[in-house]
Amino acid sequence: MDESDEDYVATNNGKAVVSDRDSSEDFSDSDSSILGDGVSKRTRSRGRSSGRQTRGGPMQSNLKGNSGGYSWEDEYQRTWDIVKDDDDGVGSLQTLVQTLIESRKKKIMKNPSTPFQRGIIRTMIVIIDGSEVMLERDLRPTRFSMMLSLLQEFILEFFDQNPISQMGIVMMRNGIAIRISDVSGSPQYHIDKIRQLKTKQHNRFEPKGDPSLQNSLELARSLLMYNFNNKVNDTQNSKEILIIFGALFTSDPGNIHKTIDNLVKDDIKIKIIGLAAQVAICEEIVRRTNSSKTSSSYINTNYGVIMNESHFKELLMDCVIPLPVSEDFEKKEKKGVPLIKMGFPSKIQPSVTSNSSINLNLPSICSCHPDEENDASHSKEAGEAGNGTYSSKKVIGYKCPQCLNKVCQLPTICPICGLMLILSTHLARSYHHLVPLEAYKEVPTMEEYESTYCYGCLLKFPSGRKNAQSDDANKIESLTSSRYRCGKCQQDFCIDCDVFIHETLHNCPGCENK
Amino acid sequence: MDAVSETIITDQKPTQPTVDDPSLLTVILDLTPHGWFKIKHHITVQEVTKALLVFLNAHLSLNNSNQVAFIVCSPDGAKFLYPNPGKNFDGIQDNGSSKGETGNKSSNPNLVNTEMYRQFRIVDEAVLEELNEVLKSLSKSNSVNKTRSTLSGALSLALTYTNRMLNLDQSISTTTASAFNATTKSTSGTSNVTSSGSSASAVSTNYTSMLSRILVISANDDDDVKYIPIMNSMFAAQKMRLPIDVAKLGSISSSYLQQASDATNGIYLQVEKPEGLIQTLCTAFFIESSIRPLIILPSNSNVSYRASCFITGKSVDLGYVCSVCLCIMSIIPTDAKCPTCNSHFDKSILNQLQNSVVLSTKRRKIDSNGRDTPPV
Repeated sequence: MDESDEDYVATNNGKAVVSDRDSSEDFSDSDSSILGDGVSKRTRSRGRSSGRQTRGGPMQSNLKGNSGGYSWEDEYQRTWDIVKDDDDGVGSLQTLVQTLIESRKKKIMKNPSTPFQRGIIRTMIVIIDGSEVMLERDLRPTRFSMMLSLLQEFILEFFDQNPISQMGIVMMRNGIAIRISDVSGSPQYHIDKIRQLKTKQHNRFEPKGDPSLQNSLELARSLLMYNFNNKVNDTQNSKEILIIFGALFTSDPGNIHKTIDNLVKDDIKIKIIGLAAQVAICEEIVRRTNSSKTSSSYINTNYGVIMNESHFKELLMDCVIPLPVSEDFEKKEKKGVPLIKMGFPSKIQPSVTSNSSINLNLPSICSCHPDEENDASHSKEAGEAGNGTYSSKKVIGYKCPQCLNKVCQLPTICPICGLMLILSTHLARSYHHLVPLEAYKEVPTMEEYESTYCYGCLLKFPSGRKNAQSDDANKIESLTSSRYRCGKCQQDFCIDCDVFIHETLHNCPGCENK
Repeated sequence: MDAVSETIITDQKPTQPTVDDPSLLTVILDLTPHGWFKIKHHITVQEVTKALLVFLNAHLSLNNSNQVAFIVCSPDGAKFLYPNPGKNFDGIQDNGSSKGETGNKSSNPNLVNTEMYRQFRIVDEAVLEELNEVLKSLSKSNSVNKTRSTLSGALSLALTYTNRMLNLDQSISTTTASAFNATTKSTSGTSNVTSSGSSASAVSTNYTSMLSRILVISANDDDDVKYIPIMNSMFAAQKMRLPIDVAKLGSISSSYLQQASDATNGIYLQVEKPEGLIQTLCTAFFIESSIRPLIILPSNSNVSYRASCFITGKSVDLGYVCSVCLCIMSIIPTDAKCPTCNSHFDKSILNQLQNSVVLSTKRRKIDSNGRDTPPV
């Protein structure tokens, strides 16, 4: 009896609609009164009613969310995220959450500190799932739009960290593979294409049909190979495919194992992010393309199934870091590493003369956009964000040192002579992958600490644990020291600085001051 | 101020209503003695400090919740002068006279009027007192590496501090636990922040509710600053949309600082005659980043993002890059080995490159730019 009742309540909760919840509330309340004093029953109903109050109570009273706007303008909240603590154990859950956060931050920040040889110049094909399952609403608003918005962030981050890399996007839809964007090094181009996918009206690329891994892998492979046969530099690139796979099946026209064989032969590395569950064929693809060794660690890092939105983002952002060059590849590469010829173009300035009162900076034609000159006004209207940059792009250009033609954006490959044109700052952006910063070590909990303030941001550290037995349960101070020490300069940092330094800054303030 | 560009402003749309968000100003003062010695006929540290204090006070008076930070970098290392949580400058006004003997110059804490607006006074006293100590220790320290610049360290400190101010709560005396509360709220999106007031919720939800910028004042002419750390902090600032303004005193421009300000949309101004520094500060460097698009700023038109050859040290415009360590070379090394990471280069690619060099020498006669000819 009790169990069946629980089932009933659970299904009602699962729907998670406010009106439904109301009725179930009423029902179970009356139910509990009938049942009398079942202890579990009472605690359950009490717990739920208090949980309901946090969610429904204030909202229904004045329709206002906590952030001041209406509740429907709020970000979507899951009921199980708003767990409130009992009155008696105030600190315990908070402490738990805080330690979880700390350990999580620590985990996020798992940058390897040993220098690897990494394939800095990458070509990556992102295969996105555009099949019908992507309309599932387990990620908000749908899997598809969630993926697209994360992908936009990923593209920006990718080109920020890998300025001399290229990317292309392929979509699996309705059994075939569609090329969304060509292999290109411009983040704006890809983001524009992604934005087209997101449009509501006249969208030819709405998720539909079944996915086909084989078709898309073949297309990605040919994109990668086409891109390399064009150029002299064949070996220095790391060729990668990233698959975001929402479905649990693939409908292929032929034998996918042959495709995998070809991928292995062409030395293409594949990473897969699953949105639903592990799929055996994905595991095999990852295992075979990433290493000849069948160690489980390879699968763990390269094939991940998301647990929630933030984990999805985490997995995606992991792909930003360039892959280390595999060992057997190094051995095979006895003939030596390639040397790349690059041009460091000088900026073309509009002639600024100090004596003329007014100086017209006339735009000039560049060789990379010969056809877009009269589109300038049009695109200005379209993208208000890139307004300033777009107009300046036309005035300021860079001169290829080999053939002296003007290009408007860097890094690029000179459309006339095929020379790779970059700025020294683009190279400098990649240095931190090659010389990573050593991870800080957590200071063990002690009674007394040397430092009272974070060296980076002057945040006050919690003081040492004086009387351990009295208040160790409800103080975060007792669980962690909150100090993270650089092994080289012996300075202590707080967790936020630690994360910031390792994720964004890439140099230790303490070591720089030594 | 003749560096103000005469760029015709393209018709800017009236941008979003000017936000009245508080802003954080971090001043980095480079105290490397060598540079200051060179411009001693123009200006002294003392005068610059005076000008800076006026500047800081002016910034504080713009908005009640504006914040400042002051960092000096000397060959001994970079250091926060303000805020300085280790010292309590709040209760200083009573024993200010007793502490008076520490200041020997006109930058005496006594000169800070006790009647002054409290926020100004706290900042001014802290900066002056700490600066005196830094200068004293600087004069005592042995002059082995007097030209060493720790600007990269100061920039890193400024960035970590700014990062905290932007993301966590802004009160200086909080412990990690309460800062965590702020992060928990912002990360998990749990919105029971109504109790903690509107400002806290604005901070935790809105990433850009606090504006910030960094002003570097340097007289250091030596370019032997650490390249990669400066570049790293520059990229970090770029990512945080944090402009780095640079006032370079003296006649020689610093290319790294120029690059840093150019990449972060900051202002670079070469102040050759720094006598009237306060005027320069209050005009060119006083502009909030939110209204920068509306104002014609001094532009640095000739930023050289030059790449320098790792072997010859000359600037390169057509070079070779090792694919392992990204080291830049203007010539192909004769032993076919990377000078930095010692990896051997691919023979076939080397041959290919050398062949193409022969072809391009013909073209080189046409452009005649005086480029050094790579060996064939």
